[in-house]
Amino acid sequence: MTIEIGIDPSAYLRDKYAIVGVGETTYTRGSGKTTRAMAVQAVRNAILDAGLKPSQVDGMLAYQNGDACFSTPVAGDLGIHLNFYMDIFGGGSSVEALIGVAMGAIEAGMCKTVVIYRSMNGYSGVRIGWTGVRAARPVEGDALHNRVYGWTSAGQRYAMSFMRHMYDYGTTSEQVAAVKVAHSKHASNNPKALYRKRVTVEDVVNSRMVCAPLHLLDCCLETDNATAVVVTSVDRARDCRHVPALIAGVVGRACQPRTDMHLQYGPVSTSVGHYARERLWKAAGVGPEDIDVTGSYDAFTFTTMMQLEDYGFCKKGEGGDYVSNGTIELGGRRPNNTSGGALCEGYTHGVSMVIENVRQLRHDVDDSCPVGPDGHKQHTFDYREGGCRQVKDAQLSTNLGWAGPDKGSALVMRRGTR
Amino acid sequence: MADTPHKPVPRPYQDTQAYWDAAREKRLILQRCRDCQKFQFFPRGVCSHCLGSALEWVDSPGRGVVHTFTIAHRAPHPGFANQVPFVIGIIELEEGVRMMTNIVGCDPNSVRIDMPVKVTFEEATPDITLPQFTPA
Ligand SMILES: [Zn+2]
Repeated sequence: MTIEIGIDPSAYLRDKYAIVGVGETTYTRGSGKTTRAMAVQAVRNAILDAGLKPSQVDGMLAYQNGDACFSTPVAGDLGIHLNFYMDIFGGGSSVEALIGVAMGAIEAGMCKTVVIYRSMNGYSGVRIGWTGVRAARPVEGDALHNRVYGWTSAGQRYAMSFMRHMYDYGTTSEQVAAVKVAHSKHASNNPKALYRKRVTVEDVVNSRMVCAPLHLLDCCLETDNATAVVVTSVDRARDCRHVPALIAGVVGRACQPRTDMHLQYGPVSTSVGHYARERLWKAAGVGPEDIDVTGSYDAFTFTTMMQLEDYGFCKKGEGGDYVSNGTIELGGRRPNNTSGGALCEGYTHGVSMVIENVRQLRHDVDDSCPVGPDGHKQHTFDYREGGCRQVKDAQLSTNLGWAGPDKGSALVMRRGTR
Repeated sequence: MADTPHKPVPRPYQDTQAYWDAAREKRLILQRCRDCQKFQFFPRGVCSHCLGSALEWVDSPGRGVVHTFTIAHRAPHPGFANQVPFVIGIIELEEGVRMMTNIVGCDPNSVRIDMPVKVTFEEATPDITLPQFTPA
């Protein structure tokens, strides 16, 4: 039996949900706070930004790596009465997927408004680099054919994809270093970024090698902070403070070609975006050429490059040129991670990059431009150091979340109306 | 001199005991499915190509090429401290499967993708010997 629903099922929630609030804590190295205390602060800020009261939030989603508190005490600390919550294990591919899950939970009638957060002491607590306490864990299960060979940190795990990309397509260290250069320029216009110093291609390729071909400055920061976003239906979004960032389309936690050990299968120099992009663009009803600003996950310089390429922002193999020809810089055709991203602003497994694009779509990024009589930023679009970082008339954004070459999520947002 | 901590070593279990037993005898063995004749790595209880459960062990000559690699300049564990920089590589074996290993017995900077390599064995502890690869 064929069910005629008359619409493309991948698109039937297009623009019906929105991000209405964003919040974060200060990016630090040494927060002096628990992950619970930081989460409370970030979620509070997001709820206030939305113009909501705690009584109007009844759903909570959080993700972690065995390194943070659960959502239930955070909700309690804020006087939130939950009708739905879930804590999942996750990293860089989580936030976009959880935005889709939030839409599903609301659509199913389980709750009305969901806050999603990530809180981590990624510098002073559990470190992604697997130094310290994690390295001493016994090797068992499926780790026995990789950890015994020293395949542990994110850099060691992902560097091999870039090595093969260089071999297959001639991509160079200098080309991907341009990602760090661009993001450092963006961070220099972001007062809350941890590293605001502009760097050059030479600075990147002359920094010490961590795991070839990745230099120290090809790798993102480790920071302590929490970040949160509020998702609700477009009807409720009308009562909120800001222009809503509508969810045009989302793909969540696509895994290709397989995730038991991606380096053993399929083309190593291709990431999951290649397999997920058709679903993303079909759901959103737009294509990469329509996008004004991107948030391609920058755990490393090359992850930004590889995802932009695999989601179709340029031809396969031409990512090195795309990220080094000015396109991804403020003032270029399609700036990437205008906050400075994980390479320069700070690291919270992707939420910060969604927050930045929400602010871009509101035309209200928090740079040093003056505030006008209407309470909004009067942007100058002068992108010189210390200046503006608002993308002119941004209407559509994309976030590309990376949890590995084989695991990703993506999100397209559209500027809504009041 | 204080004992250098040894690297983390595998704890063999039902599906992998034969693999590590063979490695201790300096043999590389691979799993092959009797139903679809395909090899798989690492060892497990079910064929991930066809869901067959009739898996047999086959001796491998341990020849292949480097598919990709990284040179680790930091020790991920104190047991690697006297080895840095060292190469973590993915080898594509003649049997068609890829496996992770270290590429040893050469200057890390001389390693290249598509370089022919052959298996060698490193006695990590009295109980555990690790298959490693070296230029052929
Ligand atoms: Zn089979």
